[in-house]
Amino acid sequence: MTAPARAGLARPFLRLRVAGYAFFLPFFVVFLVAVVAPLAYAIYLSFFQERMIGGTVFAGLANYTRAIGDALFGAGLARVALFLVVQVPIMLLLALGCALAIDSGRLRWPSLFRITIFMPYAVPAVVAALMWGYMYGDQFGLVGQIGDALGVTAPDPLSHSWMLTSIANMVTWEYVGYNMIILYAALRAIPEELYEAAEMDGAGAIRIAWSIKLPALRPALIVATVFSVIGSFQLFNEPNILQKIAPAVITTSYTPNMYAYNLAFNGQQINYSAAVAVVLGLVTVVVAYVVQIITARREKTL
Amino acid sequence: MKSLPSRRGAMTAGVAAALSLALAACGGGSGGGATSAPAASAEPSKSAAVQDALSKPAELTFWTWVTGIEKTVARFQAKYPNIKINVVNAGQSADQYTKLQTAIKAGSGAPDVAQIEYFALPQFALSKQVVNLSEYGAAALKDKFAASAWNQVAVNGGVYGIPQDTGPMAMFYRKDIFDKLKLEPPKTWAEFTEAAKKIKADNPDNFITSIDPGDAGGVDSLIWQAGGKPFKTSGDSNVSVTLDSDPGVKQWVGTFNTLLSEKLVDPQPGWTDEWWKAMDAGKYAVWMTGAWAPNGIMNSIPKTKGKWAVAPMPQYDAAKPMNAENGGSSVAVIPQSKNIPAAVAFAEWLNSDPEAVKSLNEEAGLFPATKVLLDDPAFRDASVEFFGGQKINQVLSDASAAVAPGWQYLPFQVYANSIFKDTVGQAIDGGGDLAAALKTWQDRITTFGTEQGFTLSNGG
Repeated sequence: MTAPARAGLARPFLRLRVAGYAFFLPFFVVFLVAVVAPLAYAIYLSFFQERMIGGTVFAGLANYTRAIGDALFGAGLARVALFLVVQVPIMLLLALGCALAIDSGRLRWPSLFRITIFMPYAVPAVVAALMWGYMYGDQFGLVGQIGDALGVTAPDPLSHSWMLTSIANMVTWEYVGYNMIILYAALRAIPEELYEAAEMDGAGAIRIAWSIKLPALRPALIVATVFSVIGSFQLFNEPNILQKIAPAVITTSYTPNMYAYNLAFNGQQINYSAAVAVVLGLVTVVVAYVVQIITARREKTL
Repeated sequence: MKSLPSRRGAMTAGVAAALSLALAACGGGSGGGATSAPAASAEPSKSAAVQDALSKPAELTFWTWVTGIEKTVARFQAKYPNIKINVVNAGQSADQYTKLQTAIKAGSGAPDVAQIEYFALPQFALSKQVVNLSEYGAAALKDKFAASAWNQVAVNGGVYGIPQDTGPMAMFYRKDIFDKLKLEPPKTWAEFTEAAKKIKADNPDNFITSIDPGDAGGVDSLIWQAGGKPFKTSGDSNVSVTLDSDPGVKQWVGTFNTLLSEKLVDPQPGWTDEWWKAMDAGKYAVWMTGAWAPNGIMNSIPKTKGKWAVAPMPQYDAAKPMNAENGGSSVAVIPQSKNIPAAVAFAEWLNSDPEAVKSLNEEAGLFPATKVLLDDPAFRDASVEFFGGQKINQVLSDASAAVAPGWQYLPFQVYANSIFKDTVGQAIDGGGDLAAALKTWQDRITTFGTEQGFTLSNGG
């Protein structure tokens, strides 16, 4: 008597579980193959040293101790940290402003506005390289032409002192739209009733933005901030593009990622490069986590 | 730069302008066991297999970034229809080497035949990533090639590639600017410095030439042209780097420290849009580079037609003229190939058959490595309209014959070149002392080489 009952209970349960795994499996397989396996392999590689003469030897933690004391790596980390502290707040504030503007319903062609701001995100790197190469040219480029027209010597955006600003400008141009979409999606999720209630209480547009929209945006802002922190540490594409037109300013160790890339592919130092990448990954995780804790705690106190 | 990949590849066809930004460091040529003739240890059976290969069916993959080379390959196909060649552009210079090394390490996916610049060849030869062609009888081709080309594929007693094109250095100059200022093309570096001052005095925005802080290959060639031999490899693992003490390096430092500190040459990366516009506008009166340059000039700045001329490089000692190579590639065979004899036969035909080398020159814009063209009156005496009717190939062929023997590249020149911009490039760009910067470069090269298991020395 009891047995059939048990079976009756178990079957749908089992079916549910199988269905759950079936949905999960395709993602999990791709995740294993594309993320976990390469990561594990990189960590494995980082414990060896392969030489052009003498083959491969086990190196223990030697690559890690070297990475931690590596001045070139450290300078690159400091550079992207400075970049992060300055560029990320500017970019997120701009994205926030754009998202609030679209959501306010007061723009004339909101979808055109949205597409235009988002478009740079879809521009291929090669096109961006040609475009910025032209714009940043201080003699025959746009900057030079503007300088000539105004009769002044324009600052060289590709010089040592301006380069990080120029890169920040490119990254901001590229990612404001992307972050705007994240924030705008969160704004759309706010229930209408809240606005109605606020209006009945006599709140104006600014008050609504401050008291309803901003608090509701907090989780999305945290996500956007964490993404931007990770993006800053991974900085590669933009400086790599500009390296061709400013080789003396953007050295091979300008950012940690560029350093790892050059070690691996020009220097054949795949093992040390893997160690640098692992350390960079750990630093990124720690910083992103700290940023998240700080923002989340602030949320609690409010 | 990049990587500046061989500029030679870059200059061809109309794509040059569009690609110009994407180009990184230019490559120099590469050399190994230089003057010594490779031990011709050809194995008779292998040489015979190469002879037979052309009549048997085969399919070969060929990695190259030379624009227009499909036309030469098509001629091969017409002649030997049994062999099918797949031409693949796997990126330029360092980009291609990365892919090639990855495929070789992975054990599959590498081509049968690949273009490799001279400066990178010792690296591939040392790690046995390319076939020693002397086992297949390639040493017999030696006399068909200019010595300066053959010396660069003869590495450590073997033959690791068939020379495809060369870049003997020459001074391309704007005749209109020189005429206007009543200047003669400088014969010595002292005259060069004087001319630079006059050009600067005429218009402070103009320079006699530019120098690329990211282009190790360009500076390597200028040091070579000064008689320098700062890199030497002996045996499999002994490397000497003497960038701080080599007399040729010191000659170059003396001249260029003056030129840079007095702001007589412009530290500007080459091959960018900005740079071509400057060339177009006459901001630079001279371009000292490999003999492959005319195609790049014609395609990128066609409006300067008739304004150019070419002269030999300025000399340190006019009584003992010396020249160098800049850029140029060989074609190598990859051990992974399933049909090495056919691959060798194709590489040999492509670069030594008279029909092929003529096509490479005329249809792909390469400056020849073969004597059959370099000594051909029809080639030498052709008047080039773009250069105001000058017989430029006479100057360039003679430049090839004047190349100083004995230059070698490091067995890890790709990496050494990549960190040039971090060291010497800083001094070029910022007006620092070149000698100190070369020492920094030497130190980083020495550290790297030691880590890689080589025995490094910085003397003699």
